[in-house]
Parts: sequence; C-alpha cells; structure tokens
Amino acid sequence: MNQRSSRLFIAFLVLPAFLILLAVVFYPFVYNVVISFSNMNLRHIKDWAIIGPHQYVKVFFEPTQPNFYAVFLKTIIWTVVNLLFHVVLGVFLALLLNQKEVRGKPLFRTLLILPWAIPQYIVALTWRGMFNYEYGSINLIITKYLSLPAVEWLKSPTEAFLACILTNIWLGFPFMMVIALGALQSIPYELYEAADIDGASWWHKLTRITIPLIRPVMVPAITLGTVWTFNNLNIVWLVSNGGEPSDQTHILVSFVYKAAFNLYRYGYAAALSMVIFVILLLFSLYFMKRTRATEAAYQA
Amino acid sequence: MSTKRILRQLLTYLFLLVFTAIAVYPILQVVTISLRPADRLLSTSLEIIPANATLDNYVGLFEDRPFLVWMWNSVFVSVVVTLTGVVLASTTGYAFSRFDFIGRKIGLLSLLTTQMFPATMLLLPLYIVLIRLGLINTYMGVIVIYAATALPFTIWTMKGYYDTIPYSLEEAARIDGCNQFQAFYKVILPLAAPALVITALFSFMTAWSEYLVAAQVLQDSKLWTLPLGLKSFEANMSTEWGLYGASSIIVTVPVVVLFLALSRYLVSGLTLGSVKG
Amino acid sequence: MRPYHAHRNRSVWLASMILSSWVFSGCQQSQDPNRIIIWHQMRVDERLVLADQLNQFMELHPGVTVEEIYKETEELRSGFIIAAIAGQGPDLVYGPSDQVGPFEVMEIIDPLETLFERDFLESFTPEALTYYKGHLYQIADKLGNHLTLIYNRHLLQEPPRTNLELMETGIGLTRDLDGDGKTDQYALTWNYTEPFFFIPFMTGYGGWVMDEEGAPTLNSPGTVNGLKFIQKLRDSLRIIPGEADYNIADILFKDGRSAMIINGDWSWAGYEKAGIDFGVAPLPQIRETGLWCAPMVSPKGYSLNANVPGEKRALVIELLRFLMRPDVQLQTARELWTMPTRRDAIESDFVQTNEILKNSAIQIRRGRTMPVVPELRAIWDAMRPAYQAVLGGASTPEEAARDMQELALRKIKEMNE
Repeated sequence: MNQRSSRLFIAFLVLPAFLILLAVVFYPFVYNVVISFSNMNLRHIKDWAIIGPHQYVKVFFEPTQPNFYAVFLKTIIWTVVNLLFHVVLGVFLALLLNQKEVRGKPLFRTLLILPWAIPQYIVALTWRGMFNYEYGSINLIITKYLSLPAVEWLKSPTEAFLACILTNIWLGFPFMMVIALGALQSIPYELYEAADIDGASWWHKLTRITIPLIRPVMVPAITLGTVWTFNNLNIVWLVSNGGEPSDQTHILVSFVYKAAFNLYRYGYAAALSMVIFVILLLFSLYFMKRTRATEAAYQA
Repeated sequence: MSTKRILRQLLTYLFLLVFTAIAVYPILQVVTISLRPADRLLSTSLEIIPANATLDNYVGLFEDRPFLVWMWNSVFVSVVVTLTGVVLASTTGYAFSRFDFIGRKIGLLSLLTTQMFPATMLLLPLYIVLIRLGLINTYMGVIVIYAATALPFTIWTMKGYYDTIPYSLEEAARIDGCNQFQAFYKVILPLAAPALVITALFSFMTAWSEYLVAAQVLQDSKLWTLPLGLKSFEANMSTEWGLYGASSIIVTVPVVVLFLALSRYLVSGLTLGSVKG
Repeated sequence: MRPYHAHRNRSVWLASMILSSWVFSGCQQSQDPNRIIIWHQMRVDERLVLADQLNQFMELHPGVTVEEIYKETEELRSGFIIAAIAGQGPDLVYGPSDQVGPFEVMEIIDPLETLFERDFLESFTPEALTYYKGHLYQIADKLGNHLTLIYNRHLLQEPPRTNLELMETGIGLTRDLDGDGKTDQYALTWNYTEPFFFIPFMTGYGGWVMDEEGAPTLNSPGTVNGLKFIQKLRDSLRIIPGEADYNIADILFKDGRSAMIINGDWSWAGYEKAGIDFGVAPLPQIRETGLWCAPMVSPKGYSLNANVPGEKRALVIELLRFLMRPDVQLQTARELWTMPTRRDAIESDFVQTNEILKNSAIQIRRGRTMPVVPELRAIWDAMRPAYQAVLGGASTPEEAARDMQELALRKIKEMNE
C-alpha cells in the first residue's frame, strides 16, 4: 500500500472520533477555562467579566473548612486505595476464573459482575443503610459473628471515609475483573507450559509472564480507572449523605460540587475543576511515560 | 490428582464463593426493597424475603409508569452507541497501534484528557453547544455524547490489545495476498475478540446507565431513557423505594444477558498459540 | 481500492444512524403557542392530582396541551437555571418559595402582579403570594411544607403538648421489648442531623436564622439551648436513637418501632400507605420560654419563566387561574391533606373539620415563613457542619453556635462577591 492511501486510511479511521470529541468536549473545556478566570456567580450570572487569577488564589489560599490540602490528601488516599483493591481483586478473581478445571465459571462470572450492572444510586444507599450503627448488617455481622464491638461508621470522619471506600471497592472490582479476563486471553498457553517444564514457581509465572503480558490492556484501565475514581462524586456523596459528618467526608469533586454549586459560585468551581484537571494530567503523563503506553506495536 | 491440585481447587472454590456472596448480598437487599410494600429503603429486620412481600411494585412499574417507553429508548440508544463504539474503537485503536503518524502521541493523550473533567462542570456549555447544533431533545444528541465519552477508553484498550498481537501476522497475511484492510478485518480482528467484548460492554454500560447528560438533553418525557425514568422515582424525601428497587432489578437484567451472550468471546481461548503454530 | 470499501461501509452506517434517529426523534421544546410546559418537583401522589387537573383544563380548552415534567428538587433548580439562562426552559416552574430568591437575582423569572387583578390576588391568604424586592414572583396553591409531630395511635393516645411532657412520656415509651439490652422501641425519632429539622427547637428556645436584612443570627441562646435539648434527648434520656437520618427515622416509624416522628406534610400519605394508624399534632411548647416550636412554613407555587413570549402569557395566566380555583384546590386538599391558599377554600367545611387539616392549620399558624432570600442557602450550609460536630461530640453547643455564625457570614460574603 502506498504512502498516500495509507495516510487516507488512517484519516478515515481516526477522524470521525476526533470530530465528535472536538465539538462535544473541547468547546466546554475552553468555556470552563475562560470562566475560571471570571467572576461568574449568583450576582454575575449573565454579565460576568474576566477578573484574572482571583479564583485560583481562592482555591489555594481560602481558609475553607476542610481546607483544600486536606481534601486533596483524602482524594489521593481514596484513589490509591480504591485502585489497588480494584486491580488486585480483579486480577485475582480473573486468574481464579481462568483456570481450566473450575466448574460453573459462567455462573460465577455473571454473579460477580452484578455490582457493575446494577444502578448505583439505590445500591449505594443500601450500603449506607448497611453501615448504620444500630440496624445495619455490617455491625450485626461484626458483633454476632466476629464478637467485635460495633463501629460507629457514619458518625466519625475516618470511619465514614472508610465506609465510602469499602462501597466503592465493591462497586469497582468487577470492571477490572472483566478487563483482566480479556487481557489474560492474549497470553499463549504454551508460555505457561514452557515455564512449568522449566520448574517455575507460581510467583515466577505471575510476575514474569502474566503481569507483563496483561499490561498493555490493563494500563488503559488503570490510568482511566484512576482518573474516574479521582472524579467519582456519586459514591462519596451518597454514602456520606453529602459529606457528613460535618463536611469531613469529601474528595475534591464532591467538595467542588458542594462549595460551589450550592452557592452558585461558578467561577470558583471552574477554577477548582481546572486544578483537578491539571493534577490528573500530570499524573497521567507521568504514568504513561513510566509504562511506555503510547508506543505503537511495531516499535516495541 | 495430587494434593496440591486438590488444595488449589478447594481454595479456588472457597474464594469464588466468598466473593460471590459479597457481590450478591447487597443485590439481594435491593430485591428485598422491591418486594417490600410501602416504600421502605431500610428495614429493622434482616429477612431477605420480607413479611408482606408483594409484587405490586413490579406490576406498578408497567401499569402506572411508562417503563416500557424508557426501556425502548434506552435499548435503542445503547445499541446504537455500542455498535458505533465497536466500529470506531476497533478501527481507531488499530491505527494507533500499527501506524506512526504526526500527532499520534498527542492524539492519544488528548483522548485521555477528555476524561479528566468532572461532568458537572461541562453541563452548561454542553447545553449551549447542543442547542446550537439542534441536538436538544433528540436521540442523536445523547448518542453523539455517549459515543464520545466511551471512545477514549475503548480506543486505548483496543490499541493495547492490538499491541499484544505481533505484526508478523499481518505481514504473513499480506504475503498471502491480502491488503492492509483485509489483513485487519480477517486476521487481527477475530484475535482481538476479547477486547471487542470489553469495548461493547463498556459502550453499552456508558449509554445504559448515564444520567447527567441525558437529563440535560432529553427534556421530552417521551424520550426518557431508563436512568431518567428511575430518577423520577426519587424525591428529596419521598422517594418511591419500592418502584425504584423493582426497576433497578429489571434494569440489571439486559446487562447481565448481554454479558452472558458476550462472555463466551471474552474467554474465547482463540489465543495466539493456535494461530502462530 | 479497498479502503474505499471501508469508507463506503462507514458512511452508509453513519447515514442510517442519523436517519433513524431523526425519524424517531421527538419535537423541540415549547415554541408552540398552544403547548404549555410545567416543570415541578411534586411527589407522586401530588403529580397524579395535577395530571387530573390538567386534563380537566385541557377539556375546557381544546387545542391546548399542557405537559408536566417531574424533576427532583435540586435537579429542578440547576436544570431550570441552565435552561433559562440559555433562553429555553419550561413556561412555568413549580417549587417551594425559596427558589424565588436566586431565580430573581439571575433574572430568569418575571413579576406577576401586573398580570392579575387586585381582587384576584386579595382572595389569597397573604402567605401564598411570595413577594421579593417589591414584586410578586410566585403564586402558591399549597401552603405548608411544615414539620409536624406525627404519632402512632397504637402506641400513644395523647401526644405531648410541652417539652417536659415529651420527656416524661418519652421515658415510658422507650422500651427494650425482648430484654437483649438493645432498645427496640423509641419514643421519638426524626432526621435530627439535618438543620431544617432542627429549626423547630431553635425557634422554641427563641432563636431564628436571620434578621430582616437577611443577616444571619445563628449565635443565639435559641441555637445553644435547642442543641442542648436534643443532646439531652439523645444522651441522657436516650429516648431518640443515637444515629438517625431521614430514611432510618422513616423506617422506624413505619415499622412501629417509634411512637412518634417529626416529619413534614409530604410524609403523611406514606404512613397511611404503610398502614400506620397515625395522628398529626402540632409540635410541643417549650416550657422554659413559653414559646411554641415553630417549624418553617413555605408556600409551593408557580413562577413564570422570563423567556415565555408575550403572546403566550395570556394562555399561561389562564392556566394559573384554573389551577388556583377554590374547587380545584379543594380537590387537592381532599386527596393529599394539603392546605389550600384561596380564602374560600380555606374556609370550606372540609378544611375546617378534617382532623389532620385542623392540626396542620394550627401548626402553620404557629410556624414561621421560610425566607426566600438566596442567603438562606448559605445559612443551611453553614449550620450543617457545626451542628453535626456537636452531635458527634467534637464541639459544644456554644462553640457550634459561634462557628455557625462565622461560617454563615463568610459564605454569604463569598456568594455575593
């Protein structure tokens, strides 16, 4: 195929996707950047004006309660812990399900994706109910079967945060499991056979064969999973009922939502969102560089 | 069978059972909610089948609400988004995997950046764009946005999967007389079936369960998708939990059915080993 | 050449997609002069009554269609703002009176006083007409949204009239029925972690959220003593559960595990559906101050979207006149126990003699009108953290009152910059 037609071919492949994205994402993005330098709020909703980096100064230095850095730290913890468990559990379950000798795999697979399949709103509130001190199933199990004292989940900041994390882990591992299952299919069985012949241990097989070979498919999921988890407003909001207790259970996005949208501070919200965006961008660039995720196949 | 193998099997089943139980328990709670009369989200008793269990909520869903309309709308939108997503992601991902062209790296990165914004930020400008393009209150509006939302992940996943398929296979096919496109279509694509399944599932889920954008675009209640319908059961303090529970269970079914139908190809065992040798 | 084959396939595909979605797509938002669209946040039973009333209207006016679309309260607010700012949105928006403030500031609703005659407006009870900055912005068909004391007649025959009675009878009503050391029945439960549900006790001890200018007045003995009272109920007398949000309180009452609940007029129908033999009573009086616990009372009504074209307004006003007819309001009152707003309807036999409505009317009289200024939102957001800190033991009532006030002032400043 000559150069010209291969270029055309590429264009046909890539162009439609980009045109759509251009209209639907980039314009709002630019709009957001502009608003973040403006004073758009309740009093200036139609006649807003550019006022410079004032909103950004507020984001970083305004003495909010809790302050930006505490929430930022919480968001990092939220993201890292969630992703860690999502990936580890997902890969672990995929490995279990990928074994030839296991019976009833379709049934297990189907039941295990239910957390992904069910609408989040009601199940998040069900989890909130399970964390209730007096009537929730979790405390009932803890006190009856583990003989430990009941935990006041939703009343104290640390426990409430933990409750949100547990709920999100439950919601997120099926997705990683499906990705991992798919990724495992690309590994030729002969590699494992050869390793067995060489007397390799399961750890060796895992770290030398499995993990490197599922990486190209897991990396997009992990990168985007990180981004999505970082920005996942719903679960934290629902399980903690909007940041309770006392606005302590927040990650950056729920913080944006509350501090800004409740009080119509659109300029401030835009600036805070830009900050979130830059944080995520820097992370992704770094992560992709480390995993060399943008290279094409024939370069590797 | 060696003891090691027996032990491994037992442990496998044990873990699978425990995790399945954990996965399923909250779902059962939702089933319980759907069977309870008088809109109770919670209960002071732990029974799975509640006292006074009733199917009224399920009946009411179809009799008193236009549930079937919502279902049809969601199915239509989700199927179109899924098909579009699979076509676009499989081809675009291929381009990113096989060719090096100007702007490739930037392209991939910018795809990623579109995911980084909290959706709530984009609502007002998005609404304005959609009005200008005449897409408010149309299926096209949501389809376009969902396709755009699902593409970054699916393109990148397809690319990642293609990366694990050696280029030598296409070369062999070309030697046999195929051109680039045929090599892609006949040799590579079937091998990438697991990734296609992921793409299909993800695109479907994106369209099936998305609320925010649909709420902005689909104002006419005849066009409502399931998430909008479900939201109409919500009220600040008077949520109709019975209907909400019943509809949540029903809404889960097509996803499960889709997964069942596709999971065969997810674990297809059409591994490279069989082609290489 | 082969790539064109791919190209052709794809464009056929896209074309059919576009075509099919256009074929199935619905019509654009209301530019049709004979089609009125209402956005509201009415719960299900209210919606059904409204749908019926709209049908009646459409029968009287053939050729006109009126459509009502439900949106959850917060969605309604932000959705209306976005749509109206972009020049679109429904013709009428229905909700509680506190949406008036922000909508007016954003200039997305228009004044109504010029569109109706004086006599018509005077036939309403004054609380139903929400004026802001000198103009009428909302006409209400229901008055209330107020908290009341609801009791389970099976467990309690006479509701307490004062806070002392509440505490006394409360102790007897809180029981451990199966002897396992855990309380199985509480005297009272309610969503006490939410500021709106704290207001009656704040007012009972003499406090209020703001002064006439809209400045917060949260650092007051009313706040402090109200907080102390709730702490007493929970920690020393233990007649309310240790942890209760809206859903928990609701379920305790529905399951018969709580003799009383403090909840609003929106919840009565749900308790009837659950089969509870319930009674509605006004909230008690605080002995120490002699004041009645006064919940916030708010009208719920219609505002006019500023984007509605002039020619259409006559029709919209016609619709409002219909919905405000005394007989139409009475239909709603009969089905839902709502308090009407036309004087004729209020003075009707039904409203004057119905058990629940009588008590509701007493409570409304003792209540205080909810402010409509945008600052109220900032005040809720400021109250919540400090209030919950006290309940969580991290702060004392005095500290909390001070913190609330400070935070409220700050948030108001930020909102108005």
